[in-house]
Amino acid sequence: MNDVLIIGSGLGGLECGALLAQKGLRVLVLEGSHQPGGCMQSFRRGGLHYDTGLHYVGGLAPGQAMHKAFDRLGLLDLPWERMDEYFDHVIIGGRHFTFHQGYEAFAEGLAKDFPHQREALQSYVRRLQNITEADMDVCAYDYLCQTFSDELLVNVVSAAAMKTELRRETLPLFNFAHTCSSYIESSWRLKGDGNLLVNKLIGTIREAGGEVRTDSRVVRLTETDGRITSVTCADGQSYEAEHFISDIHPAVLCQLLEGCPSVRKAFRRRMAAAENTCGMFTAQLCIKPDVLRYFAHNVFIYDKPNVWTMTEENTPVKGVMVSARVPEDGSDTLRQIDLLTPMPWHECQAWTETKVGRRGDNYKALCQQKTEQCIALAEQYIPGLRDMVEHCYTSTPLTYRDYLGSPEGGAFGMRKDCRTAMLSFHSVSTPLPNLLLTGQSIILPGIEGVTMTAFETCSKIVSGLGIRA
Amino acid sequence: MTREEIIAEINAELAEEFEIDEATITPDAPIYQTLELDSLSLVDLIGIVQTKYGVLISKAELPTIKTFAQLYDYIEQHQK
Repeated sequence: MNDVLIIGSGLGGLECGALLAQKGLRVLVLEGSHQPGGCMQSFRRGGLHYDTGLHYVGGLAPGQAMHKAFDRLGLLDLPWERMDEYFDHVIIGGRHFTFHQGYEAFAEGLAKDFPHQREALQSYVRRLQNITEADMDVCAYDYLCQTFSDELLVNVVSAAAMKTELRRETLPLFNFAHTCSSYIESSWRLKGDGNLLVNKLIGTIREAGGEVRTDSRVVRLTETDGRITSVTCADGQSYEAEHFISDIHPAVLCQLLEGCPSVRKAFRRRMAAAENTCGMFTAQLCIKPDVLRYFAHNVFIYDKPNVWTMTEENTPVKGVMVSARVPEDGSDTLRQIDLLTPMPWHECQAWTETKVGRRGDNYKALCQQKTEQCIALAEQYIPGLRDMVEHCYTSTPLTYRDYLGSPEGGAFGMRKDCRTAMLSFHSVSTPLPNLLLTGQSIILPGIEGVTMTAFETCSKIVSGLGIRA
Repeated sequence: MTREEIIAEINAELAEEFEIDEATITPDAPIYQTLELDSLSLVDLIGIVQTKYGVLISKAELPTIKTFAQLYDYIEQHQK
């Protein structure tokens, strides 16, 4: 029998699998789709690999936020490349700002553009380094407005936080700070695709005798005497284990728990009623050979200082993240650029009943229009970009929903709300003592958030694997 | 809403959500034992009250709610 059965092979599921396998437990991971990795998976087109959710990672240098965690997971061995000292560039209304790696340098760099806000910037970076769970109740937007008297600076320091859902009323400072701070410590890109990370974790699980099975969609969990004893897959196969971890969306899990007497309606309904974050539109551009030099920084471009409102209404596109991919052939010119912008679910309403590849001409026209709008913004930094594009592949929240099983295509899992932190931040525990939760919906999204949560989840099974590990 | 309306509605809701016999819910009954609450399901109770009445029970005031009567009082005083 397996010691631990993990439902879902997203980053959180695989990290839990690797951590527990390293501790000598026999692990089985069941993935419903054909390809493992969730948001970390990549796909191949025309000889090039394209990633879905991996763009850059923060805090990998010794002593920083992610170093110890990635070291324990064996992920530091991957070919990480440190990004430019000015790792994020921000352009708002035509004005250009830069984020420097290192807290002091970050504050001092922006103080050159905002000399009247120097003390506020120093206070801000001190706060980022001292975030506690009490900041789950603090509204990030209110905090920023109280800290900076210059509204443009509120927008500038938030501009690179497109890696989470920027909503004025709800986003907790806890989430905002975790989204920003590790990247300020140091920023890194992977030379290669997200499958390097996925395959490394799967390798760790398999080396310890564990297994990762794809095309194994779990349809039911069975409870006996107050514990989960087995899961059943769509093909009728059942698997037993001592412990179970769910790395799928908690609302989807609750559907699989129908009939489990220990899970009362109150829990199921709370999970089902939780709101999801917005999705993202991505245009992945294949650039003609030898026309554009690689740049080891991201660029966040907004037409106006509207960073905190564009998530709600982003038609036409008001802001875009430009992320270049490290050339794998050692060339100093790049072949791939990703353009990302928030896309609320209501923009997808006309196609919710459709499937991948069969959404019709209107959907294609929408994607084409959004791509052109993203490129138009990106041309503020890369003039003539539209003429450099060889191919373009697009994805919307519908793509996330259909490939990753994310309800409403939410890119960052379930929404956290500073006004109801007690209800929107979740425990990794469930009403069943041997069923635990992990993944981006539980505490924090993003690579850092998911990794911290994986350690927290595993600490419930094996001592010595706490969140600060 | 009147207190009587709150009592009738929340009792029915809690019995349904926590899958217990509504007859066991009386004003002086201990809320934790009756609903079989632990730290996790306590959050479910807070969620029900917040969703139904827009009343968020604060962490500081949570220990003061020990009986159903105290829960009715809290909702009545804080409902919008």
